[in-house]
Amino acid sequence: MTLSRIGTAVAWAFVAVVMLFLYAPLVPPVIRSFAGAGGDAGLFVNYAAIIDDQRLMRAARLTVVVGFLVAVITPVLGLLAAEMVRVLRIPRLIVGVVLVPLFVPGISMGLATGLFFQSLGIAPSVLTITAVQVLWALPFAFLIILTVMASFDPVYREAAYMSGATRLQAFFEVEVPHIRQGLLGAAIFSLILSFNETIRTSVVQGGRNTVQTYLWAQYQQVGLSPNLFALMTVLIVATLLLIAVLAVLDARARPE
Amino acid sequence: MRRALPRIVTRAAALWLPLAILFVLILGPLTITLVISFWEKVGFSMRPGFTVDNYVTFFSGVRLQVLGRSLWVAFSSTLLMLVIAYPIAWLIATRVRPALVRPLLFLFAGPFLVNYVVRTFGWSELLSRNGPVNSTLVRIGLADAPLDWLLYSDFAVYLGLVTAYMPFMVFPIWLSLSGIDRRLTEASWMLGEGPVSTFVRVVFPLSLPGVFAAAIFGFVGAFGEVAVSLILGGTGYQLLGNAIQSALNVLHYPLAAAISSVSTLLMLAFLVLWSRFFDIRLFLGKILGR
Repeated sequence: MTLSRIGTAVAWAFVAVVMLFLYAPLVPPVIRSFAGAGGDAGLFVNYAAIIDDQRLMRAARLTVVVGFLVAVITPVLGLLAAEMVRVLRIPRLIVGVVLVPLFVPGISMGLATGLFFQSLGIAPSVLTITAVQVLWALPFAFLIILTVMASFDPVYREAAYMSGATRLQAFFEVEVPHIRQGLLGAAIFSLILSFNETIRTSVVQGGRNTVQTYLWAQYQQVGLSPNLFALMTVLIVATLLLIAVLAVLDARARPE
Repeated sequence: MRRALPRIVTRAAALWLPLAILFVLILGPLTITLVISFWEKVGFSMRPGFTVDNYVTFFSGVRLQVLGRSLWVAFSSTLLMLVIAYPIAWLIATRVRPALVRPLLFLFAGPFLVNYVVRTFGWSELLSRNGPVNSTLVRIGLADAPLDWLLYSDFAVYLGLVTAYMPFMVFPIWLSLSGIDRRLTEASWMLGEGPVSTFVRVVFPLSLPGVFAAAIFGFVGAFGEVAVSLILGGTGYQLLGNAIQSALNVLHYPLAAAISSVSTLLMLAFLVLWSRFFDIRLFLGKILGR
């Protein structure tokens, strides 16, 4: 009895240590972002400097635009692919191909997408950045949507058919509202993954920069400054807030 | 009959066309990269052709060592990630009240989802010569002087890789562990097996699909790594991702494509092996609902 209690304590201590290692690297950027703050300049002097920096603000705007596009496009494609898994007779092939970007190294996928657009004569733009991030987020969104779809009882669709609904009506008016939570979850998850993405984007961005690739380029060229740490802090806080939203949504979706 | 044909056509188009576009978007880039890897480099541009020069360049000289190191680092760090992720997934799947399962999973998802380059910067701050870890070690007397091997070392790279990719690996393992039919473990107990041999002979084999999915994910991440090796390994510490990056930096696209194709094909080979050994539905069965 006591032996198993010791075992349990050891197990949870292990989990706690792992958690400590996972969250520890989030702390230094926050601390460094307040370097030189306080006194006359105010506590958020490095944050104010971000707003004054034109290049940074451009990068921030691009990050928001791309994040929004990825959050809208990915769930739609994920829903489509998930629906194909059910309708077409090749579920394994579809699952396999949609999951491929998960298993290709980031820089390889970035390079491949870049070369693909180049050979089609498409210049780097917001759209190429969006495309590469959608491909990265799609496997995750796809799996989320598949999970939610599995919990949808097809009986409801049959009922819709019997009430005279067409395929499309049954889909959009019965099934989609039913899996709304999952679609919203996939959208938020895609937004988070867009914030997560650096390397793929840096290959296809051309002359533009997102906040993430700006940080990466600055690190390689001149090193990190308090302003950049402030920027990282904003990214960290935004991501954690979004995850909290996701957790709340998830808790609501499962009232048990 | 007249109206039936167009309907069939539109239906097929509505179903197959989006799928075809999706497949082209995913597989097209990888195919084109493979094609370009056989092209010639001309100045700062490239010319269609068929040459294996890029592969010769890759497989001779220093880049072969990078390939070897990447394989070893990816293999050993993946093993390390599994050793950490498996017990955690097992605890969550078997020893946690159902109400706490999802909050715990979210706690693990949190750090995985924060931009990993930012997290890696965080590690380089923590591990630096004058950083908090070193100053604490010196203050409490565990080290006489700041440790040099904390940053720009194998240690730092492994730490960075494990914390970058391990959190996500908990998910597939948890998924396959929680999908195991309890009657199987109960049957094993009733047939007189102890908890350890039940685990070794029943639970562990049944969780292998999730373990391999997680392992491939971690392996791919570590193998093609760019940021962790550059930030925590220091200059000169190259993994395959860095080799691709440095070919890109000198605008040698065919070479970058060749290295990239080798790594992609290697990963896809793992994926095919995985789906040969394990029915994807065994793993995604709960998700696919069939």
